[in-house]
Amino acid sequence: MTVSTGGSANLGAYRVAERRERWLLQSLVVPGLALIGLIALAPIGWLFWMSVQGSSGFTLDHYQRLLDESYLRTLKTTFELSILVTVLSIALGYPLAYLISQARPRLAALLMLLVLFPVWTSLLVRCYAWLVLLQRRGVVNSWLQDMGIIDAPLKLMHNFTGTTIGMLHIMLPFMILPLYASMRSIDRDYMRAAANLGASPVRAFWQVFVPLSLPGLFAGIIIVFVLCLGFYVTPALLGGGRVYMWSMQIERNVTYYADWGAASALGVVLLALTLGILWAVGRLIGFDRIVGGK
Amino acid sequence: MARTIRSAVSISVAALLLGAPAAMAQDKKVLTISSWGGAFQKAQKEAWFAIVEKELNVTIKEDNTSGIADVRTQVASGKPTWDLTTQGAYSCKLLEKEGRLEKFDDQTMKALADIPTALGRSDQCAPQIVYSVAIGWRDKAYPGKEPPGWAAFWDVKNFPGQRSVRKHPIYALEMALIADGVPMDKLYPLDVDRAFKKLEELKPHVLVWWASGAQSAQVIKDGEVDMVAAWNGRIQALESEPEGKGGKIKTTFNQQILVSDHWMIPKGAANKDLAMKAIAIMSRPEVNARISNYINYAPSNSKSYDTGVIAKEKEAGLPNSPANAKKGFIQDNQWWVDNADAMVKRFDAFLQR
Amino acid sequence: MVAVGLQATASLPISIRSITKRYGAFTALDAVDLEVDSGEFLTLLGPSGSGKTTLLMVLAGFIRPESGTVLFGERDVSLAPPHKRDVGMVFQNYALFPHMSVAGNVAYPLKLRSIPKAEVGRRVREALELVQLGTLGERRIDQLSGGQRQRVALARAIVFEPRILLMDEPLSALDKKLREEMQIEVRNLHRRLGLTTVYVTHDQREALTMSDRVAVIDGGRVRQIGRPRDIYERPDSRFIAEFIGESQFLPVVLRDGAAWLDSHRLAVERPPPTAQGAHLLVVRPEKLTVLPAADSGHGLNLFEGTVKEVVYQGESSLVYVSLAGGLELSVRRPSRGADAVPVAPGAPIRMGLAPADVVIVPAELHP
Ligand SMILES: Nc1ncnc2c1ncn2[C@@H]1O[C@H](COP(=O)(O)OP(=O)(O)OP(=O)(O)O)[C@@H](O)[C@H]1O
Ligand SMILES: [Mg+2]
Repeated sequence: MTVSTGGSANLGAYRVAERRERWLLQSLVVPGLALIGLIALAPIGWLFWMSVQGSSGFTLDHYQRLLDESYLRTLKTTFELSILVTVLSIALGYPLAYLISQARPRLAALLMLLVLFPVWTSLLVRCYAWLVLLQRRGVVNSWLQDMGIIDAPLKLMHNFTGTTIGMLHIMLPFMILPLYASMRSIDRDYMRAAANLGASPVRAFWQVFVPLSLPGLFAGIIIVFVLCLGFYVTPALLGGGRVYMWSMQIERNVTYYADWGAASALGVVLLALTLGILWAVGRLIGFDRIVGGK
Repeated sequence: MARTIRSAVSISVAALLLGAPAAMAQDKKVLTISSWGGAFQKAQKEAWFAIVEKELNVTIKEDNTSGIADVRTQVASGKPTWDLTTQGAYSCKLLEKEGRLEKFDDQTMKALADIPTALGRSDQCAPQIVYSVAIGWRDKAYPGKEPPGWAAFWDVKNFPGQRSVRKHPIYALEMALIADGVPMDKLYPLDVDRAFKKLEELKPHVLVWWASGAQSAQVIKDGEVDMVAAWNGRIQALESEPEGKGGKIKTTFNQQILVSDHWMIPKGAANKDLAMKAIAIMSRPEVNARISNYINYAPSNSKSYDTGVIAKEKEAGLPNSPANAKKGFIQDNQWWVDNADAMVKRFDAFLQR
Repeated sequence: MVAVGLQATASLPISIRSITKRYGAFTALDAVDLEVDSGEFLTLLGPSGSGKTTLLMVLAGFIRPESGTVLFGERDVSLAPPHKRDVGMVFQNYALFPHMSVAGNVAYPLKLRSIPKAEVGRRVREALELVQLGTLGERRIDQLSGGQRQRVALARAIVFEPRILLMDEPLSALDKKLREEMQIEVRNLHRRLGLTTVYVTHDQREALTMSDRVAVIDGGRVRQIGRPRDIYERPDSRFIAEFIGESQFLPVVLRDGAAWLDSHRLAVERPPPTAQGAHLLVVRPEKLTVLPAADSGHGLNLFEGTVKEVVYQGESSLVYVSLAGGLELSVRRPSRGADAVPVAPGAPIRMGLAPADVVIVPAELHP
């Protein structure tokens, strides 16, 4: 009798103590949280507020405007391009990351340097470099023509292709870095175990290595995809004016029309769609995997 | 010797302490002027600001603008920092419509009398320079052939090759209508449907829809395109530069679209009276004309060509010289003020299709 | 336990012939020869860095030796890639796939062999029951305890009925009690399935407990191989005697076909070695008996000295003794019955070593 009473009283006391400890620990992050709230959340709130403000108070006009063909097409382009660049950066980045993760340390360091090098170069410089390489009278077309491989120059620049190439180049490191990190952490005993159990190298790769590298892959996909959605400079410079990105519409609304409401509505829509996609992907494969858990 | 130096030093120190130069600056009023920056603003400074400073005994403080949004924000704040700003003709009309500009007094209006109203002159917008949207082409692409006008721009049989056009409906619609046979003096109001239909024809041949003047020059210089519709100053500048991969570049004023940049005073400007005086000075034919000696832009005052300030050989390269002005037409800003919003949307949809 | 389908399959003998593996100038395996009988439980025992894992990896095919051959039964597998060797393996860290459930891990080798789904299910169930994890099939790997992971690894290694099972220190991550339990289970499992098993450990007690035979490895060579009792009772080198169990050494001289400790001729059961050079008598503390004053110790080799210290260790005590001539010996006495012959520090003591327990080894570490 005494024991059981003592037990339950104890339990309550433990709960209280536990809660107090948690509160104490959590209160440590309050200043940081406040700062984040201020610099991250406040602008988003402001954005949202602006997007529903018209000359006479609350309005949904700014959203209504977006139902226009030109905006819908831009939205489509933005997502198509982002998906394409993400897919291509997986196609190029995965093998590269794999190569680096399997290379000897010296070589791996060198390769990693090559991957990172572009990150240290200005975005603008890289775009112009591609322009020089890929335009009609650019280096690549000149070579191909000189070698007699093509008669007329290929249209590699001033279009969707050029934009994709330019963006891919910029995004590749953002795919490779998280992939490499997760590949490096895969114990080689896993691959040995797979082989030992009868898996050919190809099957071991697909059935064991690839699944174990997924956290890195998901991280890479999300970083690249989200960054792509907000691209401006590269499509503007390499798209020949015909690749419309959402960010350009935002810019146009701000600079041409000084229309904060419309620009904010554009921002809110992009944010909402991005969050929606993250949520859907999260539901599909589990958020802990995206964030890097097992 | 050492002593002399020391005393010289002490004198200048004393001067600093007394703040003599600072006191002088305080006597002078400061006029804040914003413009596009770069080579253009430098030319404005040398051609105009120096004279204004002297005549009005003011100090001109310069700033840069990137467009109409700046003016809107400044006026909205109630205390604009600029007394005077340079904006495009269309922007000026728009700001005027929005009531964001100061009205000029009679004296200023009198000083503007010789500036053609067709350029968009009003009691709030003072045209300062004229330039045009003209055809530039690679000489190698059509040796010895000068495109007679916009019809040639569309004519990919006789003038084969890639084109570059501004990524904006503002010149494209006029170009299209003229190419389709509308006479230059019967353009406005624009037949929009017809214009877009004609643009559809050109679309496959436009390699680059340019977004900046620099880009329009770069694509023709590199030989990426063979014909470009661009601001005359940009293309003509290429003639004095070393040739790029595109070889020699030529310009024609045939069927050019004349446009202008204006002076305007943001509503509530602290020194609006001084600003108006400055406008009057810079609009005087012999002052106005000076700009062409510093940059490839033309004066807005029709009398400028009679002052002798502009050399004859220079005159041939200016879009609104008596000889060249006839070849083209002046864009109707008002039409664009009323229709730009809808046109931009339609143009965006058109480009993305 | 439920009747299980996993039954003793025909297991295969292993022949390791003259395997040499070098890492640069370092020789990890030095012409190793080893025969493992069909169904035998052989333990590779040796200090850290001796080459145990390397040898196991050569068997599994993960390491290609510089020379030598490996036969599984009649089949030369020297050049066969790991996935074609059909050997089960339990890794030191288990290497269970974290992206698969417990059942998924165990089913994996079966799926690779295109076994029909229904049979996969049945065999996975049986394998899990065999390692007493019948109910945990759906768990994720990170939800298992160390011992449970060990069992899953074992189940996965045997579920596809390999004829050879390799284990690299499978129990080293477990605490002592669990380890001892698992030793018995692994042993029982081996009895049931009769797999030829090569087991690596550096825990000598584990080796002695579990094995049919023990191969002691040092410096990339097999130093002695034999039944646990032989390895313990009849070490044939100073290294083995030192490495396994507690040993103390007294210098002996071999002369006239006999071994002499000073002027005493050792009574022996087996004739002493005939080799030249310095030799040592191996004396394990528990082989010595403390003689009561009345006991003449007839037939035993006798040692007399003074008790230095008595250390109580629970089931036994260790008595440190100074012998004449500055030599020392310790003797282990079971706590039970110790009162019969009391010993106290400072008192004289007499100890006997049976002729059967006399072991003489060359004085150098590796003869
Ligand atoms: N990749 C390698 N490169 C160089 N030397 C190596 C390599 N792998 C192992 N060695 C060396 O080979 C020797 C044998 O290694 P091995 O892993 O077989 O030892 P082990 O007997 O399993 O030791 P432990 O009990 O510590 O696991 C060690 O000295 C080790 O340092
Ligand atoms: Mg090892």
